[in-house]
Amino acid sequence: MTAAPAAPSRAEILSLLRSLLRVSAKFSDYNIREYTRRRTIDGFRQNRTLSDPSSVANAFADGKSELEIAKRQAVVYSLYAPKVKSIIELYSKSGV
Amino acid sequence: MASIAGMQICLLAGPRSIHQRSGTSINHGLKTSVSFWRTIAPRLQPVLPQLRIACAAKPETVEKVSAIVRKQLALPDDSAVTGESSFSALGADSLDTVEIVMGLEEAFNISVEEESAQNISTVQEAADLIEKLVEKQKA
Repeated sequence: MTAAPAAPSRAEILSLLRSLLRVSAKFSDYNIREYTRRRTIDGFRQNRTLSDPSSVANAFADGKSELEIAKRQAVVYSLYAPKVKSIIELYSKSGV
Repeated sequence: MASIAGMQICLLAGPRSIHQRSGTSINHGLKTSVSFWRTIAPRLQPVLPQLRIACAAKPETVEKVSAIVRKQLALPDDSAVTGESSFSALGADSLDTVEIVMGLEEAFNISVEEESAQNISTVQEAADLIEKLVEKQKA
């Protein structure tokens, strides 16, 4: 695999961000949900200033593999979701 | 559909009833009813060169959108965020825009597609798109 990966376009990057945020919303566990959301936003912000096409392509490929992992894990977590929701979630919803 | 049926009753009743009709169809936007009336009876009002079919979004929707935008961009509560303010003018970059759109999806319980999401640039556009999607969902 010595061929250099093509640099993703701006639209592709934003589409990856959207997919990651959407999949993070699917998690049933409050903590994992918040973590994935926070991590994707932080990760994209950190790599915002990358200009070298190969590093951009690498970051994009990393993001894509993370997206695959997150998709699988969302399904697995939903299989074993506890019946009782986390207290933080209940309190934040009711505004207490 | 109901508002178009209402238009026909309006024609028979005469021009004065346009105000009452506009009052009941306020949710569909005054612009729709007034523009339709103008094409049917041009002698009453000057014909517009362009016919605006778009329905304006409700002020509460615009308010809600502005609140989400303010929270995302960490603007103070008294900052001027109107329907005409564009996201980039308020200091949002494309990442912020995506986050704002996701926040709107969550708040209004809708699902925005890729292409529509990329074309949103002002608060008003976002509110209009939201209204359209909420209408479609209710139908």
